Amino acid sequence: MIALWYALISFMLIVYIALDGRNFGAGMLHWLVARTAEERRQVIAAIGPLWLWHEVWLVGFGGTLVAVFPRLMASAFAGYYLALFLILWSLILRGISIEVGGHINDALWQGFWDFVFVFSSFLLAVLFGLAAGNVARGVPLDVDGNFSMPFFTNFSVRGQVGLIDWYTISIAIFAAVILAAHGGAYLTLKTEGSVHDRSSKYTKYLWAMAVPLFLVISVESHAVRPDAFGRAIHSPFCWFGITVTLIAVCTLISGISAHHELRTFLGSNFILIGLLTTGGAAIFPVMLYSTLAAENSMTAYSAAATENSLRLALIWWPVGLALAVVYFVFISRCYAGKVTVRRDTQGYY
Amino acid sequence: MNSSFSDPAFWSRFQFGFTLTYHYLFPQLTMGLAWFLVYWKWRALKTGDEKYNRAVRFWAKIFGLIFSIGVVTGVPMEFQFGTNWAGFSRYAGGTIGQTLAMEGMFAFFLESAFVGALIWGEKRLGPRYHFLAAVAVAFGSWLSAYFIVNTNSFMQHPVGYQVDFHGSLGIGNLRAYLLNPWALIQFSHNQMAALVTGSFVIAAIGAFYALRQLHPAQAQLYLRAGTWTGLIASLLVAFPTGDQQAKMVGKYQPVTLAAMEGKFVGGAHAGVAVIGQPNVTTRRLDNAIEMPGALSFLAYGHFGSYVRGLDEFPTTVWPDNIELLYYSFHLMITLGTIFIALMAYAVFENWRSRLHFNRCLLWALMLALPFPYIANTLGWMTAELGRQPWLVYGLFRTRDGYSKVVSGGDTVFTLIGFVGLYFVLGLLFLYLVGREIGHGPEDEVTAGPPPNDAAVLRSKEEHFS
Repeated sequence: MIALWYALISFMLIVYIALDGRNFGAGMLHWLVARTAEERRQVIAAIGPLWLWHEVWLVGFGGTLVAVFPRLMASAFAGYYLALFLILWSLILRGISIEVGGHINDALWQGFWDFVFVFSSFLLAVLFGLAAGNVARGVPLDVDGNFSMPFFTNFSVRGQVGLIDWYTISIAIFAAVILAAHGGAYLTLKTEGSVHDRSSKYTKYLWAMAVPLFLVISVESHAVRPDAFGRAIHSPFCWFGITVTLIAVCTLISGISAHHELRTFLGSNFILIGLLTTGGAAIFPVMLYSTLAAENSMTAYSAAATENSLRLALIWWPVGLALAVVYFVFISRCYAGKVTVRRDTQGYY
Repeated sequence: MNSSFSDPAFWSRFQFGFTLTYHYLFPQLTMGLAWFLVYWKWRALKTGDEKYNRAVRFWAKIFGLIFSIGVVTGVPMEFQFGTNWAGFSRYAGGTIGQTLAMEGMFAFFLESAFVGALIWGEKRLGPRYHFLAAVAVAFGSWLSAYFIVNTNSFMQHPVGYQVDFHGSLGIGNLRAYLLNPWALIQFSHNQMAALVTGSFVIAAIGAFYALRQLHPAQAQLYLRAGTWTGLIASLLVAFPTGDQQAKMVGKYQPVTLAAMEGKFVGGAHAGVAVIGQPNVTTRRLDNAIEMPGALSFLAYGHFGSYVRGLDEFPTTVWPDNIELLYYSFHLMITLGTIFIALMAYAVFENWRSRLHFNRCLLWALMLALPFPYIANTLGWMTAELGRQPWLVYGLFRTRDGYSKVVSGGDTVFTLIGFVGLYFVLGLLFLYLVGREIGHGPEDEVTAGPPPNDAAVLRSKEEHFS
């Protein structure tokens, strides 16, 4: 039951990253792929009506995490205090910049909100990358299951670690690159003209950049958490994740070479899904690894709510998910195809 | 409560109170407006009268702005449970997390999927599906409110839980938890109050246009819909929902009722103070003017009923800010009464077709706009201050709920961050909504934006071509 909930929780977070990751990516590439005011409206129109639907997956994840792993939520969120507030504030700025930028047809106004959009998207990609790095590396969890972390200490990955060290930085860089590549694939799919051409070019470069970075972080991860690698070899879910990633890489490459935009984008999504599944399965059942002493680590079993709560939540949760799938179908049909500034502009004019 | 500058419990409370109060300024209006949009879409479908569609288009723009600020200020709330209230999450996350998760899965997914369609999708969807999108958004927003009110009700009146071997709470009986009697009453009261906000805002904008003699047909539509709904909702807020809410407080939180009314000494024939200030030091209500027997009757149904006073409870279970609780409650009641009187008069004048010429009343309706927000806020302050000193009533104290690893200074820092960010959001919101109200709805004769704004006109033509 607890393992199942671990899988479901991971599923929600992975879906969130795959959905909202494209918006972070589009935000990071915003200035690169769109040069004129009109082109920039095109980028915003591509993510405009959908970012909200993507962001609520984070809310759904957060709520479900409180319900099924309350002790994890309590330790992790209080421990990552300032980093988490940076994420929340960046999310506020990101949402607002998308919403209000198009309200007024004025170059200065839109230029300012474009800046906020790029800045907050970049910060979000890096912060989520750091968060992933922290989950993989572990946090200084004490015997009571509490921790409190500075932004950085001595950049080492053992003992009293900080949010930032050489390992989490490399994960953050990798995350920023693959999310930018993901956003590029999305913009290639949704736009036309020069934005499309530039996005397609950057997608290729960024995915190519991701390959050496991936090798670097794999070696680093092995050095930081050798125990997780040992477990991963015996976990069928890890092999599932690796298989998904490999198939997705082939899909991506064939999509890029055949100029098949939807195939490229699907490949891009499934690379993220595959990588995160592999990572999630590799660390199971440890949810918060302690860098102070391995026995302080918080596992899914010690963080979970009561058996009865988990069982009851399993009754309604699939219903909610089924409905979400229905909405997803509706949205995909409603917003299918390329966007045009004329039809899909966020502004009212 | 120790309110020293470094007290983390105080600052965590202050921060949550601030972010929640600010956040709720926006959803109360979306929940109120949503059903007006549904009603007008439905009238447009039935009658084919384009004026209803024009009203929907105008209000949907404002709705979109409010909705997005509501979302961006709402997302932090859920995470604050973990950041600042780790003790509480650890203790009660297994129960309250269920409704928080349900809100995400059932309400937010629904709302967020359809709100874009409601605001921008009229052309893409066609009238029938556009109407359905409005229904989905309205239903989703009220469903979301139910889950949140239900979460709060568990804190007010815990039911359906069980205690696990860690000593923390899990769900015992999901049906009992979801159908908490407190939630059913508080939800009705709260939703009627949201409808009051919606109708006052619509009536105020109608009054503004009527006073400026702009958009006459739309002004009339807003005034009629706003005043009628305003009257009905104001009445329902007071009776039966408000009345039931007070009775429920009397039943489950008698010490809170005593504090709300400044009853330091219990007794039969307890009165309701019309004027008076609680003085906790001397334990009496200063310069009190009371309606004798009213409290006994309202709380327990008989003028002679015995109402327990604060003196019958140990001070350790007294709400920790009796003055603020008392003022919040009494000011809320006063405003509620004024709302009923104002809307009754407006409906009467509207029925006699005199509302458009009664400039005094139009001014009053326009200036009444902020007051439902104040009343809603006061209502929530009454509920939450009244719950103190408990986080989960009778089970878990607020003092035990905050994050021990987060210092008071960190919380002050993030609080100031929120204050700054929300101040900017507020300015932005007022500027953009003010702009929309300035533009106004499309008029029947000159369907389109003001002709002097050439750029706007040009892009609009492109948009519709």
